Parts: sequence; C-alpha cells; structure tokens
Amino acid sequence: MKVSRRIIGTLAIPCMAAAILLILCAIGGKSMIANATSFNYFVQYIAIVMITTMALSVNLGSGRFDFSLGSMAVLSSVLAAKVTKAILNGGTGSAIVMLALGILFGGLLGLASGGLYVTLKIPPIIASLGVTLIYEGITFTVTSGKYVMDEVRNPSMTAFAGSWYYPAILIAAVLALTIYLFDHTRFGYDYRALQSGQKVAVNTGIREIPNVLWCYVICGALMGIVGFLNAARSSNINGGALNFGSIGIMFTAFLPMFIGGYIGRFSNDKLGYFLAAVCMSMLNSTFAAFSNEISASMQSIINAVLLVVFLIYLNNEGLLKKLFKPVKA
Amino acid sequence: MKKIFAMLLALAMVFALVACSGGDNKAADDKPVKIGVLVADVSGEEALGFRAYYENYIAKNYGVTFTYTEQLADAAAEKSAIEKFAAQGYDAILSLSSADRATQIETAAANKLYYAVVSGMLDDAQFEQYKSNPYFVGQIGPSMQTEFDAGYAMGKHFADQGVKTVGIYGAFIPNPMHVYRTAGVLAGLGCTYGGASDKDGIAGQLFGDQGVDMSKVACGNVQVIGYFQGFGDTTFDELFGIVGQAPDAFLSVGMATTFFAEALNGAHISYADIDSFTSGNAANMKDGSLVYLAGKYSSSIGPIFAATLNAIKGNPVRDENGNALSLSQNYLVATDSAAFDSIFNGDKGDNPIFNKEALDKVIGKVSYSDFAALVASK
Repeated sequence: MKVSRRIIGTLAIPCMAAAILLILCAIGGKSMIANATSFNYFVQYIAIVMITTMALSVNLGSGRFDFSLGSMAVLSSVLAAKVTKAILNGGTGSAIVMLALGILFGGLLGLASGGLYVTLKIPPIIASLGVTLIYEGITFTVTSGKYVMDEVRNPSMTAFAGSWYYPAILIAAVLALTIYLFDHTRFGYDYRALQSGQKVAVNTGIREIPNVLWCYVICGALMGIVGFLNAARSSNINGGALNFGSIGIMFTAFLPMFIGGYIGRFSNDKLGYFLAAVCMSMLNSTFAAFSNEISASMQSIINAVLLVVFLIYLNNEGLLKKLFKPVKA
Repeated sequence: MKKIFAMLLALAMVFALVACSGGDNKAADDKPVKIGVLVADVSGEEALGFRAYYENYIAKNYGVTFTYTEQLADAAAEKSAIEKFAAQGYDAILSLSSADRATQIETAAANKLYYAVVSGMLDDAQFEQYKSNPYFVGQIGPSMQTEFDAGYAMGKHFADQGVKTVGIYGAFIPNPMHVYRTAGVLAGLGCTYGGASDKDGIAGQLFGDQGVDMSKVACGNVQVIGYFQGFGDTTFDELFGIVGQAPDAFLSVGMATTFFAEALNGAHISYADIDSFTSGNAANMKDGSLVYLAGKYSSSIGPIFAATLNAIKGNPVRDENGNALSLSQNYLVATDSAAFDSIFNGDKGDNPIFNKEALDKVIGKVSYSDFAALVASK
C-alpha cells in the first residue's frame, strides 16, 4: 500500500469526524472545547476510551468475549484506593501509588479470570459472566455497597484529575508499550499466530495457554488503569454495582474498537484505537456543549446508531466498492 | 382420689400457664427493641449523618438495635427488605427510602410492623389514605411546601447576587422532595417552566416530564446553561458539560458535595446544595467552593424515633381523630463557614440538638400537641 494512501486511510475518519462536529458546533454557536477545564476532560476521556478499547480488543480479537472488564476496573480501583489510603492516608504520591497498585491488582484479577477460563475450559463468554458476578460481589463486600470517596479524595488525586498532561503521559506510555508488546516481541508474534490460525500455531509449537494467560493479565492491568482514571475523574468509585452493573464500562469501547480496527488496516491497530478514542472524545465534548439540547438518553441512542451504521458499512464495504467502481467499456 | 388428683393436676396446669403468661408479658416489656431502617442512599453526607446519630447516639441511650438495609434500588427491594425484617422479629420500620411509600406502609402493616417516614413526607393524597392505619406512626420532615421554599430561597439568593449563568442538578427526580426543590430553584431564579411560575404549576409539569425539559425553561436575567439529574454512567459527562462552560454558580437540590465537590472545587465554581450539616459540607464551605447550604441537621430525625418507640411500647401519638403524626420541619441555611459551624457544632457527637434530655420529654404517654411543640422548638 502506498504511503500516501496509508496516511489518508489513517486520518480520514478522525478528520471527517472533526470537520462534521466543528461545523455542528459552529452552527449551534457552541465551542467543542471551551476552556482549559474542557480540554482536561477531553484528554482524560481519550485515555479512558483508548485503554478500555485496547483491553477489550486483546481478547475479543482472539474470539474471547470478556464481560468482566468493567468489574476488574472497579474491583482493582477499590482495592488500590483502600491500600493506598492505608499506606499514605491521602498524602503526597497517593495518585501514583494508587495507579501502580491498580495495575498490579488489575493484572492479578486478569490472571485469575484467565486461569478460570483455561482450567474449566468453558466458553469464555460464560466464564467471564461468572467472573463478573464474583468480582462485583467482592467489590460489594469490600465496600458494603457504598461509594468509595474518602480514599480517592486527596490533593494528589485532585492534581491528577485537574491536568491534561498526566492522562496524556498515560496515553503515550500505554500506546508505546502495547505496540512494543504486540508487534515487537515473541509474545506478540505468538499472539498473532494464534489469532490467525490456532490449530496451525499450536502444531508449530506455540504454547497457547501461557499466551492466553498473559493476554488476560495485560487486559486486567489495562483495566486497572481505567479504574484509576475513572476514580480520578469522578472522585468516587461505585461499590454497589451488582448483577452486571459494571458492564457499562466495557460498552463505551465497542464503537471505537470497530473504528480503530478499520483505521488499523492502513497503519497500526493500536494507533487506530487511539485515533478512534480521539473521535469519541470529540463526540463526547460536542454532546457536552449541546447538553441542553441532547439528553443523556439521546446521546446513547446516537452512539448506538453510529455503531450500527459503521457495522453496516464494514459488512457491505465490498459491495459499496463494487457499486462505485467505474464500469469498463 | 382420682377426682382430687385430676383437680390438683388442672390447678397445676393453670398455675403453669399463668406463670408462663406473666413471664411473657415481662419479657415483652423488657424485650430489646429492634428497628429496621430502609435506605436508598448509603453514601451521601446526609445519610451518613443520620446513620451516625441513630447508631451511635440513639442506640446507646435507648438500647435500641438499628439494622440498616443495603442501598434499595426500587419498590420491590423495599418490600423484600420489610418482609425480611418482619421474619426476623423486628418491631418497626423507619424509612428513608421513597421508591414506593404506599407499598412500604401496606407491607409493614400486613406484617404488623410499625412504620414511620423519616425526614420526608408522603404526598397529601397518600397521607389521607394511610393516616388512620394503626401501624402508620407518622411522618416528620420538610413538607412539600417547605421543600419548594428551600429551593426558591436558594434560587433567589443567587439571582439577587446577580449571577448570569447557572447549572442545575435535579438529584433524583421524580422523588417528590427533589421535584419540589427543583421547582423552587427555577421559580427563585425568576424562570418559568412551560409557562408556569407557581409551585404546583411547575412541580406538576416536572412530575409529568420526569425531569426538567430544557425547552420549557424560560428565564429572565439568569441563563440555565445545563441541567442533569440522577447518578449513572453519563453523570460526569453531563457535569463536565456544564463545568466546561464555566457557569457563575452550580445549584444542586441534593448530594452535590457527595458526588461533585472535587470537580466543582477544582474548577472553582461556586455551588449550592440542599443537604445536611455534616463534616463534608463543613470542609467544603470552609475550604471548597460550597457557598450556600440549606440543610437538615443529623438529629432532626430524633422525634420520629421517639414517636415510633412510643408506638412499640403501646403509647402511640395520634391526633384528636386518632390519625398518625404529620409534622413539618424547616431547613436551616448557612452561607458562610461561621454560620455553618455554629449549627454543625451544636449537633455533634454526645450532645446533638435532639439529645436524650429533649427526647425523654416525649417518650411515654404524650399528647399530640406536646409532641408537635417539641418538634417546633428546635
């Protein structure tokens, strides 16, 4: 593929989305990003969506649908918040310690989830439903169903939530690390081989179970970051989500995952997830600017319609190309 | 001989029964009182303040066991919780949950549990329906007029200060108290809603719309730049939509400090709330951007406990027609840290406003008017 085509293919959707949303804002007399505070939220949202999308795609790309992502984010952040509070009592460095612990606990929760899947050998979707209920139950028990607030309200967390550069650093770090892990290591090569042909890959000597477990660990660690970011953003963690109440965290990632996957055809899928997250954050900021006109329920409908329209396009892409292909005489 | 033996046996059985019966009565009098508390909010500033008063002060001074439910999400959960309390031999239900008051009262009465509304009120039609039910102890809290007035005063306070742009949080509409507070805020800001500017005109439409339809809001000097309600996945997106537009003030009809204090303090946006005199609100009024609080104090729920204890002990407080208690309580307002602390510090720990000395005056046989006088005195 030519470099120019790769660049155009990579940037087409983000540029189109930006143009459409900016025009809508101009027509409505609104600013998509009105001030520095709005920009902070804009970058934070990119980080949350991008990392959730990456976590979702790690297993879904290999046919393992994982419903437990949201519950991992919540439980890891609750545990990290409580341990951090016990160690530092809200003092200097609380945010960085909570982030590190969130990644650690997230990774362990991911390992437990993956371990259950490979041990029981039941369909991953069923295993993840069970894991979700277990993690939600543990969270409820640890928090007594209350919001975790004191543990995440301190100057360190406030400083993190009040800036755009900390989330930007996280975005860069996660992007670099995932590109390295999945595109430049033995683990990544095995992952891709298993993804494209499991039986053949196993017959060539690739050890499937360790690879699957590492995928779950990475997925859990990424959701640990998401849990931390959500806690910093809203300054509380809902400890009372039961009966799949945490699944909503995962659903924010569906549309960007498909958009990111499409962009990835022209460059790199991880870069695609980042650009898709930028698109989603622009959409979210536009919704915020029009909050009086577009209710939260209407926003959900618009997101769902966009997802369906994009899936229709992806499924009929060949047909569309054929339709618009010039007929040779 | 046989007859004498039979008579002696019968006498012995009668004595045994009398003895058992007497023992039971004594046990009933001394039996520890167990009260189940229904809660829809387990984390809010107000809820935690109320809980601390019951569990730490009342329980210690009156030997009563309070058992709190988990966060009740809906009417089915409320009904189930009451039935569980009944199965475990509880004496009464104190309700801070309002998904379906009618079903709560009916379920409690069906299970012979006394029932009282804490820090709130039924709507007028519901109260008329249940006021004669012997198991309905009553309701003590802000009336709907009081709720409207609290919202109105808050809105007017900011309108008088000349704010140009505000964001509004409607908490948990269609909860009636939040509906009336929000109606009051809109009226106080000088706004009309669907052409109405009076309490019933605005509140009626808010009930119908199940929230604020921004297309129906028309204001004079103040612009409402954003409104949202509830607490869920999109709440912070909605909050940030408003915060991003840097309004002059953010007016909440409940739980602003619990949910939004960090974000509002961080963005230096002045905010107001109708909540409670608690440590969290004290800290935010002193060091944060909370500038107006209309609040209840934690021990304001003392009298309804006293009325419930009276009912359990066989001394129900009823009006001259034998109906349940219905007494309104007003909000206290603080607009600076000193005023806040004077209220907050007077209602803490071992010396709350409704302390044992005050409550003892209405525990036992007491008239409705004496009870009402105590509630009105604080």
